[in-house]
Amino acid sequence: MAARSGSRPDESPPPLARADGVTKRYRRGSEPGRVARALGRSSPPKVTALEDVSIDIAQEEIVGLAGPSGSGKSTLLHLLAGLELPSEGTVTFQGTDLNTLSTRKRTRLRLEHVGIVFQHFHLLDSLSARGNVALPLVELGVPKKERRKRATELLERVGLEDRVTHRPGELSGGEQQRVAIARALVTDPTLVVADEPTGELDTETGTRVLEQFERVAEDRAVVLASHDQPTLEIADRVVRLRDGRIDEEATVRAPSRTDT
Amino acid sequence: MTLRTALARWYGVAVVGMRRTLARTTHTARQRVRFSVLGVAVAITLLLVVTGIGMGLTGGATVQDDDVDYWIVPEGDGASSPLISTDAPQFGSVHDTADTIRATEGVDSATPVLSQVLRVTAGNSSEYVLVVGVVNDGGIGQVSGVNVSALTHHDPYYGDGEYDGEWTGEVALSRSAGATLNAAAGDSLSISGNESFTVTSVDGDGARTVGDIPTAVIQLSELQTLTGATTHDSADQFVVGTNDPGVREELEDVYPSSTVNSRSEMTASQAMDSDLSVALALTAFVVAISIGTLFVVTTMGLELVADRTQLATMSAIGLSGRTQLGIVGVQILATTAIGGVIGALGGLAGIRLTNVIAMRTLTSEPIAFSHPVFVLYGVAVAVLIGICSLPVLLLVTRRVTGGVPQ
Repeated sequence: MAARSGSRPDESPPPLARADGVTKRYRRGSEPGRVARALGRSSPPKVTALEDVSIDIAQEEIVGLAGPSGSGKSTLLHLLAGLELPSEGTVTFQGTDLNTLSTRKRTRLRLEHVGIVFQHFHLLDSLSARGNVALPLVELGVPKKERRKRATELLERVGLEDRVTHRPGELSGGEQQRVAIARALVTDPTLVVADEPTGELDTETGTRVLEQFERVAEDRAVVLASHDQPTLEIADRVVRLRDGRIDEEATVRAPSRTDT
Repeated sequence: MTLRTALARWYGVAVVGMRRTLARTTHTARQRVRFSVLGVAVAITLLLVVTGIGMGLTGGATVQDDDVDYWIVPEGDGASSPLISTDAPQFGSVHDTADTIRATEGVDSATPVLSQVLRVTAGNSSEYVLVVGVVNDGGIGQVSGVNVSALTHHDPYYGDGEYDGEWTGEVALSRSAGATLNAAAGDSLSISGNESFTVTSVDGDGARTVGDIPTAVIQLSELQTLTGATTHDSADQFVVGTNDPGVREELEDVYPSSTVNSRSEMTASQAMDSDLSVALALTAFVVAISIGTLFVVTTMGLELVADRTQLATMSAIGLSGRTQLGIVGVQILATTAIGGVIGALGGLAGIRLTNVIAMRTLTSEPIAFSHPVFVLYGVAVAVLIGICSLPVLLLVTRRVTGGVPQ
């Protein structure tokens, strides 16, 4: 796996993203209605997915989130990406507390600064590979010609130049994940979060996808959730979660990205 | 955001909406989307068939002809009219009055018109036919769509003011009357039991038209004799041919309690007076909008709920609520428009089928009217159905989008 170039300055710059004492609880089941409450049905119990977790993500740093299923990796990713808000604690992005932003502003922040790669790809099945990659650019008001050019270039970078007009249903799992990676990077985000990016792929395909992911995500901060050890090897540091808490933080490799 | 950026964004939204509609209709969500399209198509088809039948009913009452420019008709209140009081007001002394009108400068032709539905028998065929009495003064080519040139000029039986002239027994039949009675030129006819009539002409093989009522045109005085209208020399109306709009004032003075209508006024009046057809068309419109909207709201609502993962994905990758609503809005309007096009074509086919069935079982002529503009009407109503569905469906979209795609 290739390491990447760049070095950290002696004085640590402010983190790109920070989770500070974050707790996330989910309600198990739905809230009872007015009639059900009147009949004495109580609110469903809550389950704690994350408890008092703090983590900083530096610029251009690759952080791996490891841990078994249900340990809170995906929840932490969603909080860092602004897809959800914490029940307690704060998540800041470039110094802005996400709790203070409206849904509309958080959506805009994701559009401009965060790229997301899902385990199940979540491509729009009615659009071509290029249409999927170009979709965020529609929101930015990028002209059609420019959208097509940028999407095509990114698809070429992930090795899908001959799959540009194919719909997701016509692509293999590995190809779909590469389209998803291209989509995550098309707005040139500063942070990329990837939730089990190789979780649905066989080992060989997963390795290939990961290589391409590492190459195209160069110079960006990446937070990668996976319980797959080889996937985590591209990380500068790995944070292990267990039962919603940070269990262990370890440096996997030197915190500098140098090409080999 | 600059205007250029905004335009690029909304153009992109429209393109994505259209692409999603087409792909979901043909590939990814065929059953659900096709069900929505089918619902709109059925509503539009029924709308057009009912509207076509309604317009066919309107067309059946027409007495217009290209050669006629003004109609003089009695005012509605027969009691205050100097005209003869029958079931409906009529004019009296019509032969003399027609001579007076013809003498007016600028008038090319004029004839009183008396209409009655009478039983006409030709050989073994016996039907009720609209019998129209006119005075052929050589200027009016057609009355009620029937060419009257075969009738002897100036109503000879009325002669010099008495009903004792030469009885011609001439009958000009419309194409549909000829077909209904199975009669041709030279055949003898019995009208209301009087067997002295002979077919002088049958209109040629024109295209079958909606509302082509079987019509027989005879001399006015002969029809008056058959119907007892000789006492006051009465008729229902006058038709006047002229190229001079200035004669209108003089025509208004012919009878004090009469109304003079121009061609356009007559057309508008007929449309407005056709209460049944207007009611039919309006009812069909309201029912189509209501049923279509309920159908689209239900099926597209289910489609949106099924599509919530993709909506959540759009939200996750940064597409704003407004953009998602735009995409969904385009999808809904495109879906209903497709349904509209299919429904409109189905409607035209339905009208044709209705006419075929009607002509094989009930009538000799088409009963439903059709026109290419029905396609536009159908698509417009379908889009209106989409617009009516939008508020509910956009609300559904807002509720199901957002969060983490599962």
